[in-house]
Amino acid sequence: MSDILNTVPGMPSADSLERSEVKPENHRSEFDVEINGTVGKPFVDNAKMSSRNCNVFYGDKQAIFDVDLDIGNNEILAMIGPSGCGKSTYLRVLNRMNDTIPICRVEGEHTLDGEDIYGKKTDPVLLRARVGMVFQKPNPFPKSIYDNVAYGARLHGLASNRSELDDLVEASLIKAGLFKEVKDDLQKPGTGLSGGQQQRLCIARAIAVDPEVILMDEPTSALDPIATATIEELMDELKSKYTIAIVTHSMQQAARVSQRTAYFHLGKLVEVNETDKVFTNPEHQLTENYITGRFG
Amino acid sequence: MSNSTDIIRAGLKKRYAREKRFRFFGIVSLLISFAFLLVLLFTIVNKGWPAFQQTYVKLDVELSEDLLKVNKDSDEDALYSANYSKVVKKSLQKMFPGVKGRKQKRALKNIVSNSAAYDIRDKVIENPDLLGTTQSYWFLAKDDIDVFMKGKIDRHLPEDERRIKDYQFVWIDKLIEEDRLEKRFNTVLFSNGDSREPEQSGLKGAIMGSLYTMLVTLLLSFPIAVAAAAYLEEFAPQNNKWVDMIEININNLAAVPSIVFGLLGLAIYINYFGVPRSTPLIGGLVLTLMTLPTIIIASRAAIKSVPPSIKEAAVGLGASKVQVLFQHTLPLAMPGILTGTIIGMAQALGETAPLLMIGMVAFVAEVPNGILDPATVMPVQIYLWSDSPERAFTERTSAAIMVLLAFLVAMNLIAILLRKKFERRW
Amino acid sequence: MEIGQHISQRYNEELEQIRNKVLQMGGLVESQTKKAIKALLDHDQDLAKDVATSDQSVNQMEVDIDEECTRVIARRQPTASDLRLVIAVVKVITDLERIGDEAEKIARYSKKLAKNPNVVDTHSELSHMSQLVLSILHDSLDAFARLDAEGAVEILGRDEKINKELDKLSRLLLTYMMEDPRHIKNALRVSWCARSLERIGDHAQNICEYVIYLVKGKDVRHTSLEHIRSKYFPHDIDVSES
Repeated sequence: MSDILNTVPGMPSADSLERSEVKPENHRSEFDVEINGTVGKPFVDNAKMSSRNCNVFYGDKQAIFDVDLDIGNNEILAMIGPSGCGKSTYLRVLNRMNDTIPICRVEGEHTLDGEDIYGKKTDPVLLRARVGMVFQKPNPFPKSIYDNVAYGARLHGLASNRSELDDLVEASLIKAGLFKEVKDDLQKPGTGLSGGQQQRLCIARAIAVDPEVILMDEPTSALDPIATATIEELMDELKSKYTIAIVTHSMQQAARVSQRTAYFHLGKLVEVNETDKVFTNPEHQLTENYITGRFG
Repeated sequence: MSNSTDIIRAGLKKRYAREKRFRFFGIVSLLISFAFLLVLLFTIVNKGWPAFQQTYVKLDVELSEDLLKVNKDSDEDALYSANYSKVVKKSLQKMFPGVKGRKQKRALKNIVSNSAAYDIRDKVIENPDLLGTTQSYWFLAKDDIDVFMKGKIDRHLPEDERRIKDYQFVWIDKLIEEDRLEKRFNTVLFSNGDSREPEQSGLKGAIMGSLYTMLVTLLLSFPIAVAAAAYLEEFAPQNNKWVDMIEININNLAAVPSIVFGLLGLAIYINYFGVPRSTPLIGGLVLTLMTLPTIIIASRAAIKSVPPSIKEAAVGLGASKVQVLFQHTLPLAMPGILTGTIIGMAQALGETAPLLMIGMVAFVAEVPNGILDPATVMPVQIYLWSDSPERAFTERTSAAIMVLLAFLVAMNLIAILLRKKFERRW
Repeated sequence: MEIGQHISQRYNEELEQIRNKVLQMGGLVESQTKKAIKALLDHDQDLAKDVATSDQSVNQMEVDIDEECTRVIARRQPTASDLRLVIAVVKVITDLERIGDEAEKIARYSKKLAKNPNVVDTHSELSHMSQLVLSILHDSLDAFARLDAEGAVEILGRDEKINKELDKLSRLLLTYMMEDPRHIKNALRVSWCARSLERIGDHAQNICEYVIYLVKGKDVRHTSLEHIRSKYFPHDIDVSES
């Protein structure tokens, strides 16, 4: 937009000449607005995790372009954007889930409490214990509810005996708001629960490892509104102890649960702002178009 | 109503007709294959059923010390080498006193199997006090008598066209009259090894040989195949041309004629490594080569079908790749892997061609006691028996086929049960 | 600011309809105000009666638009500019309805004033003030129609003049009342009319503030004019900056 204002007819500036060389490559529709860096406040003072110059490639294809973003301590950061905008990919950068994809390459500086998470000293196993993840589809293991929750603790040897493990499982289920419903059925299969309960079981499983950050990849997209509300309420409670980053397709959900909202578009981080601001008066035209439902 | 509705309606009849036709063809082909199966089973069962019965003859044997030239105090060697067939002959002659001529005398002797002498020997060695007494024993009847008793010889044919002559019928009739001929369940079939005498031949050697061979095959092929499949699915670099080549070759191996594996086994295991031929060990090694691709392909499919969300969940909790494999992927893939394994084993169980090359197609009378004893396997036994000229081997061939089929059905049943069991875990 | 271009065509239509109804209501209110003022200045009793009766339809419109806004909020969950549009509309119609009420009041007093005209002669002052008020009202509605925040911010501050006129008129009326206590009744009626006119100006200004909120996303109520201008309309100061 600014180049329109800057350009005086008949006197093209050097600046605008450069841009006009780029332009013919792609036809721009009415809503295609140039993304020049991120607007809003991507940085916070008390960052728990932060990324600088994050670039992600799948083979030759670049999925994420120069993302700078902080996730503040004990906040819920929502990431929204159209499908394929890179928000899920970015989320998976944060606990190195992309490591499992051989052709995926991650560049840039990513830190958790100031430690480089892609550094040579950082072990991905330890990182994933500190940065838990909840997935789109509830995916409890085909084991009992107890074993599901105890899985991570057993994996990392967090409990030294059976009673400690019992306590840990109970505490995690209580935190996930599931204990009352399943306390008599701990040995029943986790896959026998309802969708919402399964997702809370997955959250319990994630928090049983006592992570510092919980990443949620569209955690309620497979759930009905009531189950969704339960999960959202749970997130609000978990916020006091954990830092949460959530990718969601539901803008209403982002508006309801998050403190800050980041809008991704075509692999770029367009805008990060307080959620209140994003949903009443977004700074960037693309954000506005997306959240008001104006995408073509 | 719109135009397109009319068009659709016009075509409906044709579509339904086509569907009906297709269903009809399906049912017809099912019926045809079912009919073939029934005919096959019927002929086999019909032919083989009598083999589960065996005719026995009761003889009163006088264990004369004079005739045997031993007494109660003789040592075991003497008892062992005494001529017991004389006693048998004597008792027969006593029963049918008027028999004259070499030919008839031989025919008389051939009412009972020559195993009768060994039976008496074993009894006498066990209890030397029997010497000097007269005992009644049931002995295996000779195959011709057995065949006749099962109604396979028509006594109304001209005499020179049948195996049993008129004078023999007189004896048989007398024996029947005195209740000295009886058909019993054929335990010999399951307790003896192979023999040249049909009435003495059994399947035990072949069954044990098959079991040992299968054991070797299972112990070798299952871990190797599962490890290979797991590596290819979970660890091997993708889009790597070496991995692709290995994959293609595994798929091709599954289609290689099995006799080629026999040649390979001969060339490598026997000639190069010096593995003893004709043993379950070499058989198992060769059959392992043959079953590996089958199990690998089945296991890969099973591993591939494990939902990635489960693996992701485990990785997200901080499980390492190997932990994910052993704690989640393999247990969840186990039903498929087991099915593939058992199908591969069943295939191996029925295989003869590769064994030709490694000396397992041979007459082995001894029941093998380990993987290093010479042995033969069930399909080979069937092949050998079907090649034998004696009339009584025909029914034994069919009986052996029935036993083999029973084994295959049992294995498939185990496959289904295992699958159910592992799947029912939720 | 664009209302259209939603993926849902129906949503576009709903928002467009709400906006059109507001403009319609604005037009009605403006014409009522004009009529009331004409009745006041020309001592036209019939016209005054006419205004008093047509207030009913303004009220009805307010209720209708309110309902439609509620429906859009419930069904579409508008966000960002759409949300601001709906909120601004809800507020604008309240102010429009109040303007309608004020116009009705003016009409009522002018009916009584018409019975004995020219007792208190404030025609020129009232006329001047009316012109100012009408122009503010018209410009506000115009700014809303064109979603013109720059236009709206121009209007802010114009009510200063109206206040001055009101002061002037009040002083004049005071002299009349002191001259002859019999004039008090009519003078008060004139004063109330002037008061209503001033209120109409205030409401019109409110509408301008909603327009700014709608376009810029900033609530500029209770904020000084200089602050608004320097913060949200820097073009006025330095055009090259954007």
